[in-house]
Amino acid sequence: MTVMPRLEDLEDKSFDPFLVEKLSTGDCPDPYPRIHELRAQGPVVDGSYRKQFTDVPDVQMGHLPQVMVLGYDAVMKVLTQPDIFRNKEAFENNLGRSFGNTITVMDAPIHTRFRKIFQKAFLPQVVAQWGESVVDPVVNRLMSTFIDRGEADLIEEFTHHYPFQVIYAQVELEPSQAPIFHKLAIAQILSSIGAPQGPEASAKLGTFFGGLLVEKRRNPGTDLISHLATVEVDGERLPDDVLISFLRQLMNAGGDTTYRGTSVLLTGLLTHPEQLAAVAADRNLIPQAIDEALRWEGPVTSTFRYAAQDTEIEGMPIRKGTYINTVLASANRDPRKFENPDEFDIFRSRSTRHIAFASGPHLCIGQHLARVEMTRALNAILDRLPNLRLDPDKPAPAIKGHLLRVPEHLWVKFDR
Amino acid sequence: MKKWMCMNCGWIYEQEVGDPEGGIAPGTAWEDIPDDWKCPDCGSLKSEFDMVEI
Ligand code: HEM
Ligand SMILES: [Zn+2]
Repeated sequence: MTVMPRLEDLEDKSFDPFLVEKLSTGDCPDPYPRIHELRAQGPVVDGSYRKQFTDVPDVQMGHLPQVMVLGYDAVMKVLTQPDIFRNKEAFENNLGRSFGNTITVMDAPIHTRFRKIFQKAFLPQVVAQWGESVVDPVVNRLMSTFIDRGEADLIEEFTHHYPFQVIYAQVELEPSQAPIFHKLAIAQILSSIGAPQGPEASAKLGTFFGGLLVEKRRNPGTDLISHLATVEVDGERLPDDVLISFLRQLMNAGGDTTYRGTSVLLTGLLTHPEQLAAVAADRNLIPQAIDEALRWEGPVTSTFRYAAQDTEIEGMPIRKGTYINTVLASANRDPRKFENPDEFDIFRSRSTRHIAFASGPHLCIGQHLARVEMTRALNAILDRLPNLRLDPDKPAPAIKGHLLRVPEHLWVKFDR
Repeated sequence: MKKWMCMNCGWIYEQEVGDPEGGIAPGTAWEDIPDDWKCPDCGSLKSEFDMVEI
């Protein structure tokens, strides 16, 4: 029997990381008019993306030389030239502090080596098996709490929980530990605003995962952690610090993003009832609905890279040492690639692929899992909440934030 | 069903679709794709692909 290590809560029990998180992602109702304005100025614009939308100072990046790269082709040039536009320097002082030595903070050749080992655990044929065994039970459990009511807040009661619970299931977390786990996972990213609870949370999660690895190596099962703790590729095992850092990142990279992506998918469909009806009638449309939601309101609006040499993008010089705000959202709404880019339209031409999961060597490892989760969630909602519609007596859903966008509520009614 | 998959990102080559943006016409057999062609999602070389049962 596995003896699970215990998680320790933050010293300051009154500290509410969820509140602080909300302050730092902001409540900007719509960053896209500004993003279009910036893109119209050219592919490279001085300054930071974050500064366009908030006065909350960025203690980690604020003082550094920064430009924004905007538009589909320009953003692709950054993402697909990893020798010039590097991750290590871009992330070692922010994500690197929160999570440690994770693959996001690496460049080739070590990135290539470790990434392949992690990706192997998240390839399509692997995650497809988790649909039934891991995702469905979580989805069903959550839906059973509101299905008899004929109404629900699909954010508060569903999307804000299910991807995290999928992760708890994978790390076999005791249910009583879940609130502390979620709290620490959010708290660790607050290093970015200088909160002392950031490093405290990173350390406590590290201790927990360290203990878990020891336990799983002693007593391996068929779960994800046992696999990662024992897997060898070309005779090499993942070093503990790399694996622990990956697990620290999982709640943020896999939970916060999928929660928001699913929320945006449901919001897009519910505010466009004719598209919702089409998907309900023909489930083959689900993959394109997911892709359109992620193009339209991708959870990750901007990411960072670091210019390791003097270079240029579309003729605009960039100096060595510049931090590049790589504005994925500007690519996904580039009118030169997507007609009426601000419209949510699941039937639009798919000849240009969106880059909500980025592109190039750091492309999202978890995209196949995210697709499985979003597909299962949407199918369950369409199957079990007939005549699903927005609640006319409640405020319409409003997607907010400049960095990780999500509506706070999605109040719906359905037939019982 | 067996398909060619990029081991670095999980992208699957579908012969009927090809990779038009990457210069591979729909219908192109895997064997006829040049060795310097790259995975359209992550940029890995053709040699990073394996045949996988899905
Ligand atoms: C809708 C859901 C998701 C979205 C929109 C998303 C988006 C992204 C993006 C944009 C990146 C690239 C960041 C960069 O290069 O700067 C990324 C990387 C990553 N994602 Fe996701 N993600 C999602 C779900 C997941 C899930 C479920 C997992 C769980 C395994 C995950 C794990 C990762 C990891 C580990 C990386 C780092 C890859 C590397 O650096 O090589 N993501 N994701
Ligand atoms: Zn690939």
